[in-house]
Amino acid sequence: MNVFLRKLRSAWRIVAQVHRERAVGMLEFELKELENIFTLLLLGGFVGMPSPPAPIAIELLPLLEREIAVMLSRSDLAQDPIGALMGVLEVD
Amino acid sequence: MHANAFFLGKGGVGKTTLSAAFGLSLARSGKKVLVASLDPAHNLGDVYGTALGDAPTPVEAGLDAMEVDLSAWVEKYLDESRRELKTTYSYAGTMNLDSFFDIMKYSPGTEEYAVLWAIEHIHCELAADYDVVVFDTPPTALSLRFLAMPAISNLWVAELTKLRERILERRTSITRVNPESAVASSCVDKDDDKVYGRLGAIRKRLAALQNLFSHESYVAVVINPDQLSVSEAIRIQDELEKIRIPLSGICVNKRGVSKADWSLDKRLRKIKTFDFGFRADGLHERGDLRTIETEELVADFMAAGPKGRA
Repeated sequence: MNVFLRKLRSAWRIVAQVHRERAVGMLEFELKELENIFTLLLLGGFVGMPSPPAPIAIELLPLLEREIAVMLSRSDLAQDPIGALMGVLEVD
Repeated sequence: MHANAFFLGKGGVGKTTLSAAFGLSLARSGKKVLVASLDPAHNLGDVYGTALGDAPTPVEAGLDAMEVDLSAWVEKYLDESRRELKTTYSYAGTMNLDSFFDIMKYSPGTEEYAVLWAIEHIHCELAADYDVVVFDTPPTALSLRFLAMPAISNLWVAELTKLRERILERRTSITRVNPESAVASSCVDKDDDKVYGRLGAIRKRLAALQNLFSHESYVAVVINPDQLSVSEAIRIQDELEKIRIPLSGICVNKRGVSKADWSLDKRLRKIKTFDFGFRADGLHERGDLRTIETEELVADFMAAGPKGRA
């Protein structure tokens, strides 16, 4: 009986976690886009986008390790942003 | 009385001479004065007949002067950033950051920021020892850019701060619903987020500088009796209006230098004007600065200011 209850609890935890992951999928997508935009705004001057004075970007650069990683990973999807969004929305 | 005075104007109109004479006159009236040259092509030391450096040097009783070394300020700032970057991105040592920072010296905005850091240093570290700090500025283009820099940068910083707040809100929501998310390991709180904290610190520094220019300074434009410098003064006034820095006085230097027609534009007539006659025999030593009639300008400076007290 105990084993059964343990397995049931474990299965419930897995199901709950799956639902939690699905619930925040869209928010995580939006967060990555926001982080990407934040970094692009700061460093956009290097690719010709309007950006704040370079010294502001230089001052923030040492703190943007995560954001730069996100920006680089988003650039992989730059050719197919709609596809990435459809993936999150689970549209086949 | 204001704690700072800025002399702006076209190159060659006599900003350094008037700043030096104004500082000397204030010192001889009993004030403790620092005259700081922000012009990369310094000649304040030549006017005072004293060798000056990047630190205040006594010129005479109650009067110190300095020539700010802008390239040293750029180097100092880039060195600090280089050290911080190398610590964070140590794995990217092969990127040759040194050559990147050599290029940064010439990046737009760096020179203007160097002027701002120098002014901030003077305001925060040195000004406490003086009653008045007089700034002799570079020619118009650079001066207007560094005066506008706090206002423009603050617009950017405000927008970046708003965006950062949205990022932190999303991170908080995700962490609440799914504490096992990878996002949970990053900063979700404004107090812990270093980027948010740094943006706040930048905003505070820029706001203090903006306040210094707008509310704590007497800003005078130096012109000559010719249309070119008058036209430039109008442009300076227009630009200062946009960034909400009030113009306190117009100094017409070298009155009588030529008989050519000129007139003060009606837009400038609203501002108090001070005349300084042309000296055909020139100025040869520090004592000659006394012959420049700065009394009226000094009196107006003493009367001006937030509290209007001398």
